[in-house]
This record gives sequence, structure tokens and C-alpha cells, in this order.
Amino acid sequence: MIEIRDLSKTFGSGHTAVKAVRNISLKLVPGDIVLVMGPSGSGKTTLISMIGTLMRPTGGDVLLDGKNVTELSPDKLADFRLNNVGFVFQSFNLIAALNAELNVMLPLLAKGTSKSAARQNARELLMKLGIGERLHHLPRDLSGGEKQRVAVARALVNEPKIILADEPTANLDSKTGHEVMQLLCQTACSEGRAVIIVSHDTRLKDVAKRVIIIEDGRLVKEERGNHEANCPMEHKHARP
Amino acid sequence: MFLLAIKNLFQEKTRFLISVGGVAFSVTLIIVLTGLYRGWNDKLGEYIRSVPVDIWVMQKGSEELFHTPSILPITLDDELVKINGVQSAKPFNARRLAVSSGGQQFQLYIVGYDPAQNSGQPARVVEGKKVPGPGEIIVDRSQSKKISIGDKINAAGRELEVVGFAEGGDLVITSFAFTLPEELNKIQSLPDAVNNFWVTLNPGTDKNKAAGDIESALPNVTAVTSEEFVSSNTKIVSDSFLPVILVLVLVSIAVGVAVIGLTIFTSTIEKAKEYGVLKAIGLKNRQLYAVVLKQALIAGVVGFGVGAVIATLLGASVSQYVPQFVYQIRSLDIAWIFGLTVVMAALAAYIPLRRLARIDPTEVFKA
Repeated sequence: MIEIRDLSKTFGSGHTAVKAVRNISLKLVPGDIVLVMGPSGSGKTTLISMIGTLMRPTGGDVLLDGKNVTELSPDKLADFRLNNVGFVFQSFNLIAALNAELNVMLPLLAKGTSKSAARQNARELLMKLGIGERLHHLPRDLSGGEKQRVAVARALVNEPKIILADEPTANLDSKTGHEVMQLLCQTACSEGRAVIIVSHDTRLKDVAKRVIIIEDGRLVKEERGNHEANCPMEHKHARP
Repeated sequence: MFLLAIKNLFQEKTRFLISVGGVAFSVTLIIVLTGLYRGWNDKLGEYIRSVPVDIWVMQKGSEELFHTPSILPITLDDELVKINGVQSAKPFNARRLAVSSGGQQFQLYIVGYDPAQNSGQPARVVEGKKVPGPGEIIVDRSQSKKISIGDKINAAGRELEVVGFAEGGDLVITSFAFTLPEELNKIQSLPDAVNNFWVTLNPGTDKNKAAGDIESALPNVTAVTSEEFVSSNTKIVSDSFLPVILVLVLVSIAVGVAVIGLTIFTSTIEKAKEYGVLKAIGLKNRQLYAVVLKQALIAGVVGFGVGAVIATLLGASVSQYVPQFVYQIRSLDIAWIFGLTVVMAALAAYIPLRRLARIDPTEVFKA
């Protein structure tokens, strides 16, 4: 379980201080899919940066299975991210020099997995996400939807406990965006991973179980998403 | 992460080629300079090493053949042979002269070759007459682009016919030539003097002790073993060439470091977001440092290979057109230059590594 307790972030100090996130608390259980919405500058990205341990909070804690990770050393934080967090970005952020398969293999190789095992895992996942035919294509030769599928595979390949997606559909057309998010959420949900999606795209409520609204760094509203109505197949994807 | 380093490098082929070119240029320069130093050093000592002499005797204060002339009385041989352990003492006469042939002017170091005493002989005659007769001269083959057998050489008003070519007497900017002692005496006009004596010792005699004994018995002479004499004669190359080499090697290193450093640095800046992604995924700084360091090392090693090949080709071909390009390289030299290239690449990676350390992984959230 992931628990966020009174998480705050203030940039600067004194009378120039900007409170980007103010005392946000949140609990996520395996399989949770939370859509974080709010206007630009409301603190959404700062919030997921802190949950993803890319940014240290100025107050509050992030706990994974009861263990506070906010005070870990940089190396321990890197290990924590490698083993527990998957990221999906707005601009896909694939490594340009690596083909689809190698991009997905990267987190496994960083973890010390053998090349052959990493390759096999990456292939299986890419096939499952429907791009098994594009394994050896460089990012520049992939469409936006294909790139985001590769990014989703890279986020999932280390079997993280939490997946953080920042505006994952912003650079995709609506149909492709919806398909990719369906895939991410079905896979994550069926495998018991928590997903936090930051987006302005209201259509993503269809894949979310919960929707939280942030304004001026505060959590102002929480409502149910339409995941259950739109994802009747999720348990068929469960790994044995 | 070796894979990522390789893929990154080969993704930007132009940048990689610039890196390799910079290192290759540096390595070529360092190898060629070292090769020239070795070659010159070897050439200056080659003749002295080849002659069957145990001890060189010269005027006190003289140290070597070319810049500290020695004049000794011709009768000194009688005193030398009286010294314990000395078997024979043969005169060695030589003089550096500007000569002309067929409208060309050049310099020769003309040695008086006495076939009867077997002194002042060439290291090896490879073409033409083995022994010059009156009015004749044997020159080193390194001069064969300027003169041929049968040509006439004018030396201080004396005309000598080239009758043979020898080897082992190339002095890079001049060379040894061999004529009869009488011919040299006509040129030098010093009938009662000699430049040096070649001393041969009885078998089993300690060379250093004998040299000391000669200096004790004859206070106005310097006596050195043939090995010491080789060192004295090649020292001039070390003294004048090594500082120049050192400066040029440092310039080469700076060029190599700057080229690799700049190309890897610009690549790191361009790929800052990708490195941010890798940090976000969970790669540690040291894993990313290894990627950059490996890129620099790969560029360095490939550049070294290219540079070594270019230097070898230059060494093999240029000497055919430029006789002064006397090039010799040893495997140990190649080994230290390779080590230097590795150090150069590691140094070049330093600034990109500092930039890498400052990359903020939260940048990945920027569109």
C-alpha cells in the first residue's frame, strides 16, 4: 500500500515562497487508478514528482508498505524507483538511440537482470501491448501511439508497485490516447499495481477508479471514476 | 550500460567521427614524434655502435663527435699501447664539411678510412667498391637521392669520385662518408694530428677500469667506453628533441582532451532529458557516469587505433620521400601512448560528468 501523508512542497523562502503542494494525503491500494486533475500550476506535477521520489517534499511523508521513503539517500531512492515506480511521460521520453525492445529492457538491465532474460520479458510485454511487430524500430520510426505503448511497457517491465503517468494522452489523438490508457490501466489493475495519472483530459475518468481535483496545491475534491463500467475485462489479463 | 554508450555514440555518427578524428590526430602526432625521436637517436648512435672499439679517446673537454671537436697528437698511440690492458690504438680522423656535387650543396662527415689498420671503416658497404682508392669516396646510401656512384664530389677544393654506398652512417641531417686518410689529410691539412683514437682492449680487461687508467696516465685526454660514447653522441638528440616533443605531446593531449570533451559534453547536454529519464527510472549517478566514461573511452580507443594506423603508414611511406623522416617505434612506446589515450579520454569525460551530476530528473515532466 502507498500512503501519502500531509505532503507539502514550498519553493523559495520568505515572502517569495511559493507553496506548490499543501498537506495532501492520499492512500492507494494495489489496483487503484487515481486520476489527478486540476488547472495548470495547481501542483499536480509537483505532487507526482514527490510521490515518485524525484523531488524531496518540504513536509509530510511518502510511505510504501509502511516504510517512509522520503528520507532515503539518493542511491537508495534510485533503487526504490527502479524496483517500485514506473513512469509514463507526456512526450514519451524514449531513449532515441535504442529500439523499442532495448528501451523496455533498460530498467531490467539497470537492475542487473541478464540480457537474455531482459529481452524475453521485454518481448512478452511488447507483444501483450500489441507492438510485437515493432521490436526493432527506433523511436523515430514509431507512431505516437506506438511510442506511448513502448513507454507503458518500460514502466511496467520491472513490475513496479506504482505507475505515475504525467499527461500520458496529451500528445496522442483521442482514439489512440484512449486505447493506450485502457491498456495501461487494464494491465496495471489486473496485475495489482497502483496508477496515478495526472491529466487535463476528462475522458480519462473512464479508466480511473478515483478522481481527485487539486487547486492551488490543495486537494479540493475526490470523486469516483468510471473504471468499473469501462473495464470489464481487466481480470482476464491477470498473470498466473 | 555498455550497450547504451555504444548506441549513443553510433547514433550521432558525425559527432563520433569528430571525436575519433581529434584523438587520431593527437595519437598520430605523438606516435610520429616519438618515432622520430627514437629514429634520430638510433641513427646518431648507429655508426659508433657498429665499429669494433672498446674505448674512445679524445682531447680533454671533448665529449662527442659532432659539436666538441677533439685534436690529439698522432704519436699518442705509442703511449696508449703502453697502458695495461690496451691491445691496440688506432687513429680516427673525421671532419664535417660542406660539399657540392652536380650543383647541389650538402654536408658530409668525412672519415679517414685506413684499410691497413682497419680503422675508420664503414659499418657495411652495400654497393660498389668495398675500399676507396686515391681520389675516391664511399658515401652513405642515405645520400643516394643526391648522388650516384660515379659522381664527383667537391670537398674543400678536392674532387673525390663516389665509388660505393655504405649503410649505418646516416646522421639524419648529414651522413658519414669514407675516404683514405691521405685524402682527408689533404682536406684537413693537419698531418700531425688526429681527432680520436680507437682503443681495443685485451680480452677480459675491464673497460671502465681501462678508461680510468688511460685518463690517469694521460691527463690531457678523455677516455670513455663505447657505450658511454654512444650515450654522449645521442644525448644531443635527447637534450634538444625531448623538450620539443614534450611540448608537442602536451599540445596533442590538449587537442585530444578538448575534442573528446567537447563532443561528449555537447552530446550530454543534448541528451540531458534522456539522462533525466534514466535517473527517473532508477539508474544511479554512477551508472550514468559509466555510460559517459565508456563513450569517451570508446572514442579514445577507436581514435588510438586510427591514429596508430595513420602513423604506421606515414612512417612507412614518408621516409621514402623525406630522408630526414627517420622513424622507429617500439611496442613499449605504443603501449604508453595507448595508456596516455585512455587517460586523455578519462580527463575528457570529467566536465560532461559534472554536467550529468547536475541534471534534475524532474525535468522529464516538461513537455
